[in-house]
Amino acid sequence: MSGFFWSALPYIAFATLIVGTSYRYWTGERGWSTKSSEFLAKKSLKVPIWLFHLGLLMAFGGHVIGILVPKSLTDGVGISEHLYHIIALSGGIPAGILFFGGFFLLMQRRFGNPRMKVNTSTMDGVIYAVLFVTIITGFGGTILNAVGLLGDEFNYRECISPWFRSVLAMNPDASLMSETPIIFKCHVFMAMVTMILFPFTRLVHCLSLPFEMFLRSPIIYRRK
Amino acid sequence: MRIKAQVCMVMNLDKCIGCHTCSITCKNVWTNRQGAEYMYFNNVETKPGIGYPKNWEDQEHWKGGWKVDGGDLVLRTGSKLGRILKLFYHPEQPELDDYYEPWTYDYETLITSPRRKHQPVARPRSLISQQRMEIKWGPNWNDDLAGGDDARQDVNLKKIGEEIALEFNDIFMKYLPRNCNHCLNPACVAACPSGAIYKREEDGVVLVSQDICRGWRHCIPACPYKKVYYNWKTNKAEKCTFCFPRLENGLPTVCTDTCVGRIRYMGILLYDMNGVLDAAKSPDPKMIYAQMLGLIKDPNDPEVIEAARKEGISEAVLNAAKISPVYQLIKGWNLALPLHPEFRTLPMVWYIPPLSPIAKKAEDKVYLPQSEAMRIPVAYLAELFTAGNTNIILQVLQRLLDMRKVMRCKEVGETPPQNLEFDVYEYEKMYKLLAIAKYSERIKLPAGLQGKTHEQLRELQGSAGYVCPGGFC
Repeated sequence: MSGFFWSALPYIAFATLIVGTSYRYWTGERGWSTKSSEFLAKKSLKVPIWLFHLGLLMAFGGHVIGILVPKSLTDGVGISEHLYHIIALSGGIPAGILFFGGFFLLMQRRFGNPRMKVNTSTMDGVIYAVLFVTIITGFGGTILNAVGLLGDEFNYRECISPWFRSVLAMNPDASLMSETPIIFKCHVFMAMVTMILFPFTRLVHCLSLPFEMFLRSPIIYRRK
Repeated sequence: MRIKAQVCMVMNLDKCIGCHTCSITCKNVWTNRQGAEYMYFNNVETKPGIGYPKNWEDQEHWKGGWKVDGGDLVLRTGSKLGRILKLFYHPEQPELDDYYEPWTYDYETLITSPRRKHQPVARPRSLISQQRMEIKWGPNWNDDLAGGDDARQDVNLKKIGEEIALEFNDIFMKYLPRNCNHCLNPACVAACPSGAIYKREEDGVVLVSQDICRGWRHCIPACPYKKVYYNWKTNKAEKCTFCFPRLENGLPTVCTDTCVGRIRYMGILLYDMNGVLDAAKSPDPKMIYAQMLGLIKDPNDPEVIEAARKEGISEAVLNAAKISPVYQLIKGWNLALPLHPEFRTLPMVWYIPPLSPIAKKAEDKVYLPQSEAMRIPVAYLAELFTAGNTNIILQVLQRLLDMRKVMRCKEVGETPPQNLEFDVYEYEKMYKLLAIAKYSERIKLPAGLQGKTHEQLRELQGSAGYVCPGGFC
């Protein structure tokens, strides 16, 4: 079973993410939108949307560093395990607070305001639930780990990170995940679920960075 | 000189009776669906008044249109970098309550109610939240100056520093029908992060591509006329299309076609595309109107025709331009003026300012008052149409008054006044076009812009629209 979760599912997730997103772009471009709800409830969006996206970017950056930079590299340049953890937590805790705080406020807004119903599809409900579990397991696991409740021997840089790199290297080593606490297993699993759902949700808007705006002329003329 | 053709509209406000027929027919054709039910691509406002959405003219608040900054023309909404930061939360985007919350009534209670002491009542219900609601505002809440306090908030009144008198003897009002101006320098096009909005080369119609629109919503605050709307159902921008499927078949827009007062004129203008930027950034906003006139070229000038042919403008369009009633009204007699030229978008829907009711001067025993003594303050009209230049308004009103004088003299057999600007024949022509022109004289649009036959178009019926295929909406 662990072979499926940690050897096959990651590839299913990546494949769905890439194929699904391209499929949606080519077939249903007209539905490709942020589905902005500022029009329906403006005031309650102002602060939470910034908290959420800022926290998201910080958390994403933290994941990239924590997973892709091998422990041997930081050890090599003389950063002790203790120092690394202080640095990671000093970035991770504020990111988690912003990310989860923003998410909580946005969730309150989405499911508390009757107007927002018209902007909330079933898929939105599903992705909110998935993201909620993903964030809570990630943030919760980090805090439990920081206060030492997950045991001294657990270090995600010695199990999750090398496992993820082994997946990226197309040579998955599921045994690396065997000693990982359940809360982090759950977190990784939910992250893969998010990737699988991504193409079919509003999350696709993050791929639409409007950089062409910087290159084009202000007024566009187009033939019929 | 780089000539482009523009389909253009003129509205003769003297004849607008404020019946809202244009708004209703437009709504029935374009916006009677979920997500768009609050939208009026065309609406009629009573002026003075704050309009729809509330206070749309106040650019200190909405930051719509363009401004000149150190000699450069820039969007008032901010630099490209600043606009990227507004992708998440746009501080100047209007929300639903700035327009109004659309509603229906619980009509069913009228027939399902059991026998009671009192009559059953159909209570209002929101079309957004589906909950009972209290109606606090609507699309034409201050129609005919209803709610005098709202009329007092009109930014144009504040600018001319006039406290509106609501005593019956001095009160004034007029109607202002508004649809998208299909500007020569559209701010919505420039503000779109995705490049979804464009100006059609063939006829200058400004359209939103529903495929490219990502719902970033920057066009909505950027348009100073607030004529781009956000569909809460498809999460995309929508706007007046100038009824382009009709234009392509030589038919006018629905609002023009159904206008009860026959106030609308449509035709082709030829303009010099190379001059657009300079006209939009003229240092003195009072000069923008004159600059716009300079852009519009004489369709009978052989040089212009030659340049137009070089740009691939068809003979049908050139022929329509030669007999264009809007050219005559805008440039021939200088009667039509752009709405708020100071927004610098160079709007292509023009307005002939109204003569006021002359009751105020009835005791003077004159047939018509002087143009500066009209009931609607000239300064107020100037705020609307000439960025505050009262001389232009006075000139237009005087020409309209002179036309009336000439026609009166003709009717009663008197000799026309001596000090006229034009000769009598010109006033008769003006009268014919303004007062009694038939449909075919008010509307001169070329047929054949479309490449499809009528049969092909009929096949498209019911399959084109703003639905969201794919099921991801």
